[in-house]
Amino acid sequence: MTGTVAVYQKELASYFRSPIAYYVVAVFLLGTGYFFLYNVFLAGETTMAGTFQNMGILLTTLVPLISMRLFSAEFSAGTAELLLTLPLEPWQIVLGKYLGAVTILLLMTAGSAVDLVPLYLFGTPETTTILAGYIGFVLLGMACLAVGLFFSTLTHNQIVAALITAAVLLGFWFVGHLQSFQTSEALRGFVGYLSFSHHFVDFIQGLVRTEAVTFYLAVTGIAMTLSVSWLKWRR
Amino acid sequence: MSSDSAVIALESVSKRYGSRTVVRDLSFSVDKGEIVGFLGPNGAGKTTTMRMIAGYTAPTSGRVSVAGYDMATQNVEAARLIGYLPERPPLYDTLDVSAYLRFVAKAKGITRGAIAEELERVVSACHLETVVCREIFKLSKGYRQRVGLAQALLGKPAVLVLDEPTAGLDPGQIQEAREVIRAFGEEHAVLFSTHILAEVTLICRRVAIINHGRLLAIDTPSGLQRAVEETHRVSLEVTAPAADVRHELRSVKGVVAVNVQAIAGHPDIVAVDCQVEPRHGVEAEIARAVTRRWDLHRLERQQPTLENIFLRYVNTPTDTA
Repeated sequence: MTGTVAVYQKELASYFRSPIAYYVVAVFLLGTGYFFLYNVFLAGETTMAGTFQNMGILLTTLVPLISMRLFSAEFSAGTAELLLTLPLEPWQIVLGKYLGAVTILLLMTAGSAVDLVPLYLFGTPETTTILAGYIGFVLLGMACLAVGLFFSTLTHNQIVAALITAAVLLGFWFVGHLQSFQTSEALRGFVGYLSFSHHFVDFIQGLVRTEAVTFYLAVTGIAMTLSVSWLKWRR
Repeated sequence: MSSDSAVIALESVSKRYGSRTVVRDLSFSVDKGEIVGFLGPNGAGKTTTMRMIAGYTAPTSGRVSVAGYDMATQNVEAARLIGYLPERPPLYDTLDVSAYLRFVAKAKGITRGAIAEELERVVSACHLETVVCREIFKLSKGYRQRVGLAQALLGKPAVLVLDEPTAGLDPGQIQEAREVIRAFGEEHAVLFSTHILAEVTLICRRVAIINHGRLLAIDTPSGLQRAVEETHRVSLEVTAPAADVRHELRSVKGVVAVNVQAIAGHPDIVAVDCQVEPRHGVEAEIARAVTRRWDLHRLERQQPTLENIFLRYVNTPTDTA
């Protein structure tokens, strides 16, 4: 456990001493703020539903910028030679790094809560629905970060890691749209199940369904397991 | 089989990347209390070998063991006992030196109470006192190298694997780094690679020379010197016709081979290189034979320096199977 903590602390220290974390958080908060203003004040919506939907898409494009450095930067800077020869199990390294990235995600999430102030001041939003939305948002983010972490173990080029992650995440976000082209019921179900956004919609509507929670956690688990296996195998 | 006291042991280790074989059938060992210098031209396989000992990569075949642990399967257990400085110092540029060393100390499992003392020890051993609070990206090359060395020393590992630890240091710093390595090597096992041949005679008990991924020789520096002593050379410059001087010198007792070359710009003078038997007095006989008939300008006996030894081993063509 101390090994995981050491990696986690090192990750956080590196994040906050490099401009990229501030940049990502700032872009996310600006973007969220814009969507919120648009949805609530221009479109006249009195819930967070539209904003959450937009936050999800924004997340899939910003997560690659957080996750790209996780391992790619270690490989390109040569620090992987230290990290992978310290008395740490690969899972400790992966977990420490992952938790560091999740911390940034939680900070982004907390920051976006500013938008709730006018919502509560001028309306009567449903708190449980909003909470469910936030739970879904964090789970979605965790799954996306795990996917990004896996791709960053595969290359020492951060740009490549980010582009592959973005492509895959957007693919999973929009894969549900393929449903309308499928005639077979089974395929429609399968494509819908794979969609990151379909599961997210449940949360936005205030439903914390086991199936959706399990889906995001399973994606996270699979991506993390693949990362650990790859780090062991690549030796 | 390696001896019982071997802390680092390689047994017929090979490493292939695709179709490229970087290390071939390499076997040697390093004992406790021994400093072994690792020599070889660039691309000889030194870095790959050191990576395998440190556990960063696993051999394609053969076995690497450190303190009895098999590095293919027990690398995490063994990692506690290994201090490793890769060719490029593995530094997190955005951290300051103390945060960096603290991270490595924690990851090495040094207890919270012992960290401050351990940090102080390596900082003073590597003379980093003045830069402890500075961010690593602001450091000069010499300091970066020393921070890398400090990191390897954390936790008093039983084995030190140092890939060119003195690269990028100025002469004063090189001497200090050597002192650190020498002091460390008294009780631990040290394997370090270098391009500075003099360094090897100064601090190593044994020298391993590799090229094309094969071990060419491993011996004490003086042992290596003895092995090539039969190739003592005498070189001279003399005002004489090339054919005559060659004929004359061949008849001198103790001269094995003669090579005569013209010197550009001096049509009368030739440069002669004689391979001689390793006994005293040969150069005097050569001088006598030459001065009987011609003017001798220069004559010197060439001792086998470590450079010569190294080049001789490295340039000897090996059958690449």
